[in-house]
Amino acid sequence: MQLKTLQEIIKKKENKSEFAIVTNLTTGNSEIFEKGKSLSKEFEKFADQINAFFHSKKNGIIEGTDIFVESYIRPIKVIIVGAVHIAQYLVNFASSLNFEISVIDPRGYFATKQRFPNMKIINKWPDEAFKEIETNSNTALIALTHDPKIDDPALQHAIKNKFYYIGALGSKKTHANRCERLKEAGFSDKEINQIHGPIGIKLGGRAAPEIALSIIAQLVAETYKK
Amino acid sequence: MKNSFDEKILEEANDWIKTNQKVVLATVIETWGSSPRPTGSRMIVNEKGDFSGSVSGGCVESAVVRECVEIIKEKKPFKKIEFKVSNESAWEVGLACGGEIAVYLEQIN
Repeated sequence: MQLKTLQEIIKKKENKSEFAIVTNLTTGNSEIFEKGKSLSKEFEKFADQINAFFHSKKNGIIEGTDIFVESYIRPIKVIIVGAVHIAQYLVNFASSLNFEISVIDPRGYFATKQRFPNMKIINKWPDEAFKEIETNSNTALIALTHDPKIDDPALQHAIKNKFYYIGALGSKKTHANRCERLKEAGFSDKEINQIHGPIGIKLGGRAAPEIALSIIAQLVAETYKK
Repeated sequence: MKNSFDEKILEEANDWIKTNQKVVLATVIETWGSSPRPTGSRMIVNEKGDFSGSVSGGCVESAVVRECVEIIKEKKPFKKIEFKVSNESAWEVGLACGGEIAVYLEQIN
């Protein structure tokens, strides 16, 4: 692989683009494939098969050829509401995972660059913050403030926009009250039951890093369920 | 489909090159049976045999390192190698799990 290609791949990963690397295992040549971009002569004749691999997000050798395709998919968007202690550990645990994290907290003293270096922080109320983030069924929400004023609007947005994972911190009692409020706001039991509350898988620990680990574990498990 | 990992091996390869190391990229291109790591798994090796990442769960890494160092020495741009089920009686490298993998080695230049 040429250094130029390697650096281009790294840049595309940083920009969260979707692309594939195609390699001819006989000639050793490789190049980047993107939707709508034409391929060089060497790869052109395999364009249809490369496209098919790319669309099914597959890695592998195209049958009957010597062309290897590796697809890069966009990272999963994870929105953390509440720039709290647990969120700091969550961000650390997630650093080697393919998650694009945004932290929302209207409380300026929590949501600081100093507490969350290199992180997208939105210092606004959830309703305002969600205007800045494109969300869909590939988005996850982790609500950590256990303050209804902040968590509830975020949870409502997540349900309405069909997030694939919605988790909310809080005891069983806190969660029961939360469900009650969502019911009053007109959400169905089915919608409310999607929320993982209390959040995380049972590991037993109650310290901030332990809770963060249990949340990340649940998030990864849910990511592969689909 | 979604995936939740990003091993940053290519980024590390670029960092190694910046410090004037010669780098070979090893990629799992095909698997058969119960191979430990999926297609697309990667590791990098420099001319001294330092390595990062993995192409199996530790079964064949030593052989991959040897092959990578070799192609740097021989100035070979790329090479394809295959690993099969290990022979229990020998110290040879193989996949104890019973799987088979093909690994593509390429120099970054």
